[in-house]
Amino acid sequence: MALTKKEVEKIAELARLELGEKEKEKFAEDLSSVLGYVQKLSEVNIEKVEPITGGTSLESVMRKDDETKCISDPQMREQILSASPNRKDDYFKVPSILE
Amino acid sequence: MNLNALTIKEAHELLKKKEITSVELVKVHFNEIKKRDKDIHAFLSLNEEGALEAAKKVDERISRGEPIEMLAGIPVAIKDNILIRGVKTTAASKILENYIAPYDATVVKKLKEEEAIFIGKTNMDEFAMGSSTENSAFGPTRNPVDLERVPGGSSGGSAAAVKAGFSVYALGSDTGGSIRQPAGFCGVVGFKPTYGAVSRHGLIAMASSLDQIGPIARNVDDAAAVFEIIRGVDELDSTSVSPPAGGWQDYWDSPLDIEKIKIGVPREYFIHGLNSEIEKNIKSVISKLEKEGAKIEEISLPYSEWALATYYIIMPAEVSANLARFDGIKYGHSTINKEEKLQSLLDVYLQSRGKGFGVEARRRIMLGTYILSAGYYDAYYTRAQKVRRLIKQDFDRAFNPPTGGVDVIITPTSPTTAFKFGEKTQDPLSMYLADIYTVSVNLAGVPGISIPIKEVGGLPVGLQLIGKNFDDVKLLKIAKIVEQLTKEIT
Repeated sequence: MALTKKEVEKIAELARLELGEKEKEKFAEDLSSVLGYVQKLSEVNIEKVEPITGGTSLESVMRKDDETKCISDPQMREQILSASPNRKDDYFKVPSILE
Repeated sequence: MNLNALTIKEAHELLKKKEITSVELVKVHFNEIKKRDKDIHAFLSLNEEGALEAAKKVDERISRGEPIEMLAGIPVAIKDNILIRGVKTTAASKILENYIAPYDATVVKKLKEEEAIFIGKTNMDEFAMGSSTENSAFGPTRNPVDLERVPGGSSGGSAAAVKAGFSVYALGSDTGGSIRQPAGFCGVVGFKPTYGAVSRHGLIAMASSLDQIGPIARNVDDAAAVFEIIRGVDELDSTSVSPPAGGWQDYWDSPLDIEKIKIGVPREYFIHGLNSEIEKNIKSVISKLEKEGAKIEEISLPYSEWALATYYIIMPAEVSANLARFDGIKYGHSTINKEEKLQSLLDVYLQSRGKGFGVEARRRIMLGTYILSAGYYDAYYTRAQKVRRLIKQDFDRAFNPPTGGVDVIITPTSPTTAFKFGEKTQDPLSMYLADIYTVSVNLAGVPGISIPIKEVGGLPVGLQLIGKNFDDVKLLKIAKIVEQLTKEIT
């Protein structure tokens, strides 16, 4: 199974990754080789087997939405906001989304 | 006495008896770091001032005659994907090069309550993706045993720091072998607890259904002592769990009777690809165990053959989802331009991520994105989840009567000893094969530990013991028996 450069470009776009031209070719090769290897799983009979969806058998663990548990510490709040590359007051500033 | 080779227990006794102070202990470790970490590069950042300050406080308590906690005043190194508030946490990635953690990981909070001394953050493969630390954006770590060789990975800096005498113990994280494999390569003990036994709040996520934090230490007792402190249910990690019945057993009460232990030897783990000298050393431990009265039974884990392929579907799928949070907007490396009015949001994403992530991170994000994309999801991801169940059932059968009933499973940690730099970096698949004996443990969620046994060609060899879910304490007790027998062999 070999991926084309075009397919690699499509995946990169979905993954929001800018790739160099050379890297696209290298990734087409690398991904094809790994995908070729994992094809091995087609040898396994999985009829009537239920998929595992997590590391434990827990289901939908909930807790109360309690804001004091989150960022009640003003210093922590400031640290989180100041890590942002572009901030206005207490907001993260993003480039405009509408054309 | 070599203060750079102390175990936690020894250091604790010396502190209690006032034969050394915590400040002295911290200083000898920083001296060693200054002397040798130029060559080894186990650390990405150091916390000398903070460590000395914290040590002074412990010394004051001791001089007032107060009792101290087991880990108090003793140096610990923390893998750089675990958050310490106010300290730079990079996950060895350019995308987090200047990131200051705004909160403590739960494990760090617990160590702080013990008054452990944080001496620095250790090097790793970027976002814990790799088996050699060669994927660190800030340069690789060298194996203290042989500087021409890798220390293993991804917790290579943590394992190297403990081996080199830079820290008494360390924390690592293990998604497919990242604690056990570097412990094996460096000749120290590395323990991955049962999935969910230790809170992952504040661990930078790689593959959430597989990740687990655990200790790297100089012996099994130390690994057990650290495990006792860091384990426990945490409201901030909804996957953290407590043992089903009666809480944890006590590691320290009484040693296990070797004649009552049943050990499984899976035939699938002793096949082609395993270095014959490593095989010989593992087998000689097995015969020694048998001679001492343990029951040895050949078992089969028939789906082992498909574990690595399963892992290389599930892991990248979860990686691609987890690493979506690095978007150049909230924190981390960003190409956002405050002056440019016409910059598009998409370009910020593409460029920030394209430049911020290293090659292996990008490769795995790409793989995961492909696997999860429409039309391929069932063929890859759902199929892998089903095979994962079959792999888990292999372990259930081995551990539970009437089909099995062994107490632990014994295997090599890795098929080879530490390899040389560059040996596997060109071919990702050959690097992935380094995890062949460790990934099943994460897929099944069971606990595993690597302990050093007789070396091969002057290089450390790790023996892996695998236990049943929540039988972590029993696993540690058996590991201690093996550790003692091994000393008699070498």
